[in-house]
Amino acid sequence: MEKLFVGKDNFLKFVQNLVERFSVYAPVEKEDFLFYEKVNQENIDKIKVDTRRAIHPLKSFFLPARRKVSEYFNSSLVHEQQNCVILGAKNCDLHALKISDSVYSGEKFGVEYKDPFYIEAREKTTLISFDCLSPDEVCFCRLVGVDPFPGEGFDLNFSSLEEGFIIQVGSDKGEKLIKENEALFSAAEQNMINKRDKNRERVVKLIEKNNREFKPAKSYRELIRDSDASPVWKEHSEMCVDCGGCNQICPTCRCFLLTDSKTKDKYERHYLWDACLLTGFARVAGGANPRPYLHQRFANRLLCKFYFFPENINLDACTGCGRCIAVCPGKIDMRKVFRDLAVEKKITVGLEK
Amino acid sequence: MNNPYEPIKTQILKIIPETAQIKTFVLKPENHFEFNAGQFIQLTIPGVGEGPFTPSSSPYEKEKMEVTIMQVGKITSTLHNMKENDLVGIRGPYGNRYPVDEWRNREILIVGGGVGLAPLRSLFLTLTYNLKEYKKIVLCYGAKTPEDIVYKESILNKWQKEFAGKISFRVTVDVGDEKWKGKVGLVTTTLDGIDEEVSNISESIAVVCGPPVMMKFTTLKLLDVGYTPEKIYLSMEKNMSCGIGKCGHCQLGKFLACRDGPVFTYEQLKDIPAIWD
Ligand code: SF4
Ligand code: SF4
Ligand code: FES
Repeated sequence: MEKLFVGKDNFLKFVQNLVERFSVYAPVEKEDFLFYEKVNQENIDKIKVDTRRAIHPLKSFFLPARRKVSEYFNSSLVHEQQNCVILGAKNCDLHALKISDSVYSGEKFGVEYKDPFYIEAREKTTLISFDCLSPDEVCFCRLVGVDPFPGEGFDLNFSSLEEGFIIQVGSDKGEKLIKENEALFSAAEQNMINKRDKNRERVVKLIEKNNREFKPAKSYRELIRDSDASPVWKEHSEMCVDCGGCNQICPTCRCFLLTDSKTKDKYERHYLWDACLLTGFARVAGGANPRPYLHQRFANRLLCKFYFFPENINLDACTGCGRCIAVCPGKIDMRKVFRDLAVEKKITVGLEK
Repeated sequence: MNNPYEPIKTQILKIIPETAQIKTFVLKPENHFEFNAGQFIQLTIPGVGEGPFTPSSSPYEKEKMEVTIMQVGKITSTLHNMKENDLVGIRGPYGNRYPVDEWRNREILIVGGGVGLAPLRSLFLTLTYNLKEYKKIVLCYGAKTPEDIVYKESILNKWQKEFAGKISFRVTVDVGDEKWKGKVGLVTTTLDGIDEEVSNISESIAVVCGPPVMMKFTTLKLLDVGYTPEKIYLSMEKNMSCGIGKCGHCQLGKFLACRDGPVFTYEQLKDIPAIWD
C-alpha cells in the first residue's frame, strides 16, 4: 500500500481530531517510566508517542486486572465497552497481542470458548503504533526475533522523521481514519522512506549493541530445552521475593483466576489477574502442589514463554520488552538467565568484544 | 453474547452419603446437558466459587447427572453442608473423554483408588452399556478401610451379581475390620497375578484414577507387568479455574489438563517432570 506523510502541525491536528471523537490513550512520562494516560487538553502536549514502549503493558486495555464476567442466575450482565484509540503502541506491544489473541480468541486454546469480553475490547480499539526511536537499556527485542518497528498488527503505523511522520495503513479501520482526515496527509516521497529505513537500521544496531554481551549463538527456545534440573534456576531466583510483579507487568503473561462473590441481590463472578510465581498458583484442593519451590515457579514462567507457547502455537511468548527486568525488585534479568543456560550448555554467548 | 464464564442453574435433587467424607450429589441442570465419561464440569457454589469435578453417572442418563465429592477444601466443605433442592451452577462439560471407541475388542483393566472410582464409575457404566463390544473387563478397587469404600452396594454386591461371569472384580482395603472378609492390601496388590485374567497384556488397556501416589505406584506396577505406556490412561487432577484453556492454572508441560486432558496416556506424560506432585 502507498505510504503517506503528515507534517508535525497536521499531526497535532490529527491527534486533536481523535481526542474529540474517541477516548484516546497515549504514553506520558513520569519519572523514569512512560505510562498510558487518557489524552485531554492538559496533557496533549506531553504525550511521548515515538520514543520507547510504556511500562504499562497493553494487555490492561483488553484484559483489565479485574473485570466482572458474569452475574449469574437471576440477572444477566450488561457490559459496555467504549470505542478507544491507543496512540504510541510499539512493535513489542503488537507482538504480545498475538499471544493474548491466540489464548482468548484463537483456535488452539478452546475453539468453542472464546472470550467475548476480550474480543469486544479488541474490536472497539484502534491501534496506532510508532517505530521505536530510543529503546530502553533493558529492551532486547532483537534477541527474540522482534524488530523495534511494526510490520503488522496495527491499524496505522507512524515513523518519525524530523519534518513529520510517514504513515503506513494496516487495516480498514486505519484506512477509514485516514479518509476522515484526508486533508492532513500527502503522499510520502521516496527520500523520506529512505530516511525512515535509516532510522530503523540505527535503532536495530543500538539494541544489538546494548545486548552484545547477552546474544547467544542459539535461540532461547533451544537453550531452555530440558533445562528443568539446571542449577541456573536456583541461582537466579535467589533474589526473587515472590512478588509476582514480573507476571503482572509482562504483556504476554495472561493467567487469571475466576472468583465468585455475593452482593445484596446477586451473585457475581470476576476475572482477576493471577501470577504463576505465587506459591499456590497450581496447588489443588487436596493440597498437592506441582511447583512448591520458588525456583520451579521461576523456571516455569520462562518455560511457559519459550517451551509451552512454541509447542502450542509456534511463537515465543516473550517480546523482549524488558518490562520484567525493569520492575524486578530483586534485579533479576532474564537475559542473564539465558546467558548462563548457554554457558552451561557450552554454547557461545556474547558478540565479538 | 455467548459467555463461557456463565454457569447453568442446577438443582441438587438428592444427596447420597457414601462415606464419612464423601457424598454423591444428584444434579439436575436447568438446560439440556450431556457429557462423555472422562470429561469434567466446573461446579459453582453460588457466591463462593467453583471447582472441577468429573461426573460419576452414566452419560446415557440424560435427565440428571451425579458427582461424587470428597470433602477436602472450602468449596467441597460448603457443598457438603448443602441440602437437597439447593441451587448450584455448572459449566462444561470440558476436556477429553476416555476413547472407548478405540478400545473395542480389547481387554480393559480399570484400577481405582478411594474417591478416584468416581470418574471410573461413569466409564464402567459406559462400557457395560455396550458390554459385548469389549473382550474383557476387570475392575480393581482399593480403599483405606471398608468404611471408605464408595458405591459400596454396587461394587461389593449389585455389579458383581449383574455381571457375574462377564466382569471380574478385585476389591481390597489397606486395613480391614472384623466384618471385612475380602482382601487386605494396597490397591497395587490387586494387580498380582493379573496375567491370569488378562491374556494379552501388551495389547490391552489400563485405566487408572486415584490419589497421586496411588496413580504413581499403580502405573509403575502396570509397566512392570507388561502394559505399554500408550495404553495406560490416567485422569490427572490439576488446579483448574477457567476449564476452557485460558487461565493457565492447569498447565502440565506443553499440555493444558482442561483442554488436552484430563485423560492422558502415560506415554504423553512420562517425560514431564513431577507429574505425580
Ligand atoms: S518481579 Fe522479580 S522478585 Fe517479583 S516475582 Fe518476578 S522475578 Fe521474583
Ligand atoms: S518475559 Fe519480560 S521481556 Fe518477555 S515479554 Fe514478558 S515482560 Fe517482556
Ligand atoms: S483450567 Fe484454565 S487453562 Fe485449564
